[in-house]
Amino acid sequence: MSASGRIIAELRRSPRPIRLLGASGQLGYGTPADSFKAGIERRPDLIGCDMGSIDIGPTYLGKGEMATSPEATRRDLRRVLLAARTLDVPLVIGTAGSAGAGPHLDATLAMLRDIARTDGLRFRMAVMRADMSRPMLLDAIHSGKVTSFDGMPVLTEEDVTEASHIVGQMGMGPFRNALEADVDVIVAGRSCDTAIFAALPALLGYPVGLAMHMAKIIECGSLCCVPGGRDPILAELDHDGFVLESMNPERRATPTSVAAHSLYEQSDPFMMQEPDGTLDLSLAHYEAVDDRRARVTGATWRDSTHPTIKLEGARKIGERAVLLCGSADPRFIAQCKALLPKVADLVQSLVCEELPMDYTLRFRVYGIDGVRMVVPENEPPPNEVFIMGECIAPTRERAAEVVRTCKQFLLHFGYPGRLSTAGNIAFPFTPPEVSLGPAYRFNVYHLLHVDDATALFPVEIESV
Amino acid sequence: MKLSDIAQVIRSKNAGPRRLTLDIMFGSDADYQRVAQSPALGAANIGRLYRVPADQVTIIPYPVGRAIKIVMARAIMAGDPGDFDVYGAQQHAPLLGIEI
Repeated sequence: MSASGRIIAELRRSPRPIRLLGASGQLGYGTPADSFKAGIERRPDLIGCDMGSIDIGPTYLGKGEMATSPEATRRDLRRVLLAARTLDVPLVIGTAGSAGAGPHLDATLAMLRDIARTDGLRFRMAVMRADMSRPMLLDAIHSGKVTSFDGMPVLTEEDVTEASHIVGQMGMGPFRNALEADVDVIVAGRSCDTAIFAALPALLGYPVGLAMHMAKIIECGSLCCVPGGRDPILAELDHDGFVLESMNPERRATPTSVAAHSLYEQSDPFMMQEPDGTLDLSLAHYEAVDDRRARVTGATWRDSTHPTIKLEGARKIGERAVLLCGSADPRFIAQCKALLPKVADLVQSLVCEELPMDYTLRFRVYGIDGVRMVVPENEPPPNEVFIMGECIAPTRERAAEVVRTCKQFLLHFGYPGRLSTAGNIAFPFTPPEVSLGPAYRFNVYHLLHVDDATALFPVEIESV
Repeated sequence: MKLSDIAQVIRSKNAGPRRLTLDIMFGSDADYQRVAQSPALGAANIGRLYRVPADQVTIIPYPVGRAIKIVMARAIMAGDPGDFDVYGAQQHAPLLGIEI
């Protein structure tokens, strides 16, 4: 029997609180060795890891590349895989490879197979793909089953055909099917981070509200503690509540710190929409077990009568190149917000002599308004500024041409009162122009209304 | 007194790529109550600071976490051309100097 079958049978035979280890909120950036070891010594019934998020922006999803380095990702995967196989408990990985589309999932699976070969491991693996079929999405658009939210424009056929990758966030159902298929390792494409941890207790009959609330907290590792951090966290769930304990002795899960975590990256700390239903935290209660552990009760759950899958897709919008430079000249700094558009006009007159205007050129002036979306009036000028020029053009060569031209004419642009006639800007190194490759934007961020939130994500079984 | 002198945490982050959420957390119930009752943290004032219509700003008191949450639409979707802050993690600055 494989790990998930064994744990399910054991807990059904002799019911007891279930222990889940949240190993990492973002696998691939390094897992702290000491606190992970401490977590394994507590003999959890499941090891779960979230590998990704939409927060990292559209380019990873669009390009099909991981945000984490292959070396660190492989090291983290090896650590959690070896531990799970030693304990013979399920290892559950969600949003494989940062964005959870086909290439991300395949790269993660290739690493796991390679680790298995090198370390002589054999196991049964469940794989759930999150890529959405384009014909299915086009049908869904025509039958009114795709809706917008958060002010996103209506999804068009063109959006679906132009996107490089479109994924759907799977909920608990596919994880439940995988666990019931008697496997050792579960690797899912784009998924709700809660499903990684909530599916096993939910299928064993623990209250779904509590399981979901617990999952929502431990998917971020020890971030719910003071001081917060990325060490693994252990949750022990019974039928009335759960106890949280960081595996780093320096981090304390206090009632306030755990309660406050419900705010993190959420727009509503009381009601959270999941594909399978709604998590209601309005009656959640947090109490101290001791100095380092908090017990949480009270969360409730309502199954959704109309399941929805959140869709995410990114399309290529061009090739990006940037110019990196700075200035320490007070006269240039005082005028630069007015000068930069003039430089852009000059660049356009040069690079568009024989070609149409087919690119965008933007400047961010760090020290003035490079970071803040809103800047108060009449701020005193800084002593230095950093200027980033960014071009997005149809080809890599065109983007490079624009930023190289920009570099030269920004350096030598004349203006009234100019003293530094040998150059307006400093380069930290040359070349100061960098080609960054393809640029993407999210063009799909919509809800797909389905009859069955599980059927879209079939489970494939592989013997490794 | 400035908000940054009273609060323990003042932070911003995306809540999905189209919304920005700001959390202000306090070390004591007294500090929380003092700020939660102040009009300085009302939707009108926050909307003015962020140049967003007040009816598009949501203020959520969260006493169990001794915190106040503010939610608003991002002017630019995360990662779109012209975005300043893909994660939205540095949009808390306008809150720091609010007088309570």
